[in-house]
Amino acid sequence: MKAAIRHLRRNRGRTILTLLAVLIPVYFLVSMFGLTNSIVSDMFETATRIDTGHFQIRHIERRGMGAAIPLMHDSKSVLAALDKIDGIEWRTVRLDMPALASAGDRSQAVYVQGVIPEEIAPISSIRDLVVKGTYLKNGQNGAVIGEELAALLNVGVGDQIVLLGAHPETGLGALKVPVVGIYRAPISAMGRTVIHTTLTTARRLARSPNAATAVVVRVSGVTGPWDVGKIEAVTAQLKGLLPDDVEVLDWRKLAPQVSGYMAILRPVMIIFAAIFFGLGALVVLNTLYLSVMERTRELGLIIALGASRWRVMGMILTEAGLITVIGAVCGALIGVALAWIVEALGGIPLPGAELADYMKVVGMKPVLHMMISWPQVVISAAAMVGVAVLAAWFPAYRASKLEPVEAMRYVE
Amino acid sequence: MSNSKALIQTIDLHKTYKTEAVETPALNGVSIELHVGEFTAVAGPSGSGKSTLLHLLGGLDRPTSGEIFLEGVALSGLSKDQLARLRMTNIGFVFQAYNLIPVLTVLENTAFVLELQGVVRAERIKRARKILAELGIEQYADQYPSRISGGEQQRVAVARAVVAEPSIVLADEPTANLDTATSHELIDLMRRLNEEKGATFLFATHDSRLLDRVSRLITIVDGLITEDEKKHDPSAE
Ligand SMILES: Nc1ncnc2c1ncn2[C@@H]1O[C@H](COP(=O)(O)OP(=O)(O)OP(=O)(O)O)[C@@H](O)[C@H]1O
Ligand SMILES: [Mg+2]
Repeated sequence: MKAAIRHLRRNRGRTILTLLAVLIPVYFLVSMFGLTNSIVSDMFETATRIDTGHFQIRHIERRGMGAAIPLMHDSKSVLAALDKIDGIEWRTVRLDMPALASAGDRSQAVYVQGVIPEEIAPISSIRDLVVKGTYLKNGQNGAVIGEELAALLNVGVGDQIVLLGAHPETGLGALKVPVVGIYRAPISAMGRTVIHTTLTTARRLARSPNAATAVVVRVSGVTGPWDVGKIEAVTAQLKGLLPDDVEVLDWRKLAPQVSGYMAILRPVMIIFAAIFFGLGALVVLNTLYLSVMERTRELGLIIALGASRWRVMGMILTEAGLITVIGAVCGALIGVALAWIVEALGGIPLPGAELADYMKVVGMKPVLHMMISWPQVVISAAAMVGVAVLAAWFPAYRASKLEPVEAMRYVE
Repeated sequence: MSNSKALIQTIDLHKTYKTEAVETPALNGVSIELHVGEFTAVAGPSGSGKSTLLHLLGGLDRPTSGEIFLEGVALSGLSKDQLARLRMTNIGFVFQAYNLIPVLTVLENTAFVLELQGVVRAERIKRARKILAELGIEQYADQYPSRISGGEQQRVAVARAVVAEPSIVLADEPTANLDTATSHELIDLMRRLNEEKGATFLFATHDSRLLDRVSRLITIVDGLITEDEKKHDPSAE
């Protein structure tokens, strides 16, 4: 060990090169994980806050109903079941149904979400996105629509629109509602289709006074898809407490675009990691190999004096292990420190309105954040150390196979 | 002494180096016996096979044919790992140069063989210090090899070679890089260890001025022993 440290000190240049070969990949990975975590988290938050929640409880669907969700008439007993379990941050009852919105001679297929305004306030969904007019108040007859829809129907705050609801279970229902607010959607498709009304208004449209389509639930302490365990822990508690005719659907079913994005991200990250690790390992292999060559005489002497093959390999691997652990830890710390700095400065704003628009389509914010996940940091660093030590195996093996007589004749 | 059991016995040793197309015969049938307590020099011109012989005796290389017995054990029957163990426990080496590990201090170099043998730290430090003191070089204990002279380095090499009390010390031209006075001092040092501790030495040299203190002189020319002369042996009296 002492000898390993002295060897590393003796050849500073090479030691630093090896250090960097390990440090840079770990640093890059930590940063990349930080960025992608933040992006995934954004998408996840957009989807689960505004639309799906972490999970929903719905009536079991027995027949195909197209875009419509089956109606549930006993949301009270579902809420009672939720009251009995732990870990729930928030829940509300919602009635979602497809409808046709028209104003004058213009119409557009929309999706009406009937909500309880005071209940959705704490998690600030569309309420915070309203740019004209106001959000709904309890019991108010009105609609909050997206900017895109307002443009399509050519209406503004105060104008009337006609909603034609057609739930397959209850048939046609028509309502005239005033536009009370216009919101700016994080996803443009949403701005074109999603309309908020109060639950009461939606129930009138569905012509069914107790109907709901879902109880939407958010779980405490969930920051992203990685917290899926917390969500599962809560849904597991619900077993046996719910009425027989309802089912639990989690965000993976409700927001397949987020889990789909994650499914793409994983192999991409693995490929990146493999490339970084591969390059790092090559440098480690190369520098260590040079170092073995340079020390041929010394290694020959050690072998001549009777050191076993394992001992010689152990010496080289100890050196490699030492330097790679230091490099990996430094890389990880730099990555984490950088993330802290970025967060302390409030994120990196992305320039360019076009990019911001594009990102809006997929539900990302135009500000880059870095979210550090310690398990990822530890795994990245440990994996790099593992790969580097594996790469060190070859030079170490070569060293152990030196013939003492030839090695001692070796002239640099 | 001649009727004591041989420490090392070789039978018809041949060694031919093969490199690509060229075959270099280095030893052409060497049969010798070395005994405990002997202080033997192998002399001969450059390229005569002295180093080759020492390498074979020390288990650093294998003969093309013939057999070596060390304390009755046939080296041809030992695996590579067993040979390494044998070198560690039974042989002390002093080479012409580059004897010391540059990143270890004189004391650590001296104790290195003991470390390989698994001797505990306190014990090996004690033994290494003791031998350095006996050889009058304890003042260099904490120096790195590059900070001391060539003659001092070779003394440390001798200390390292004898510290674990091996069966035999093999020294291949230990004085080749030293001036005459220092060379004599080194040979005297080895001789003293031989006389005082009964350590067995075999050293190769082509410097005839160093031969006046040996108890036995083997001359080798073109891979064959041409002379094997027992000299007056003061330690036998
Ligand atoms: N590894 C090797 N490969 C090829 N030939 C070798 C090798 N080692 C020694 N030889 C040859 O074998 C012969 C004997 O060499 P050796 O080194 O044993 O002689 P030596 O008596 O020690 O000479 P010197 O006094 O120069 O050290 C020489 O011709 C040498 O060139
Ligand atoms: Mg020689």
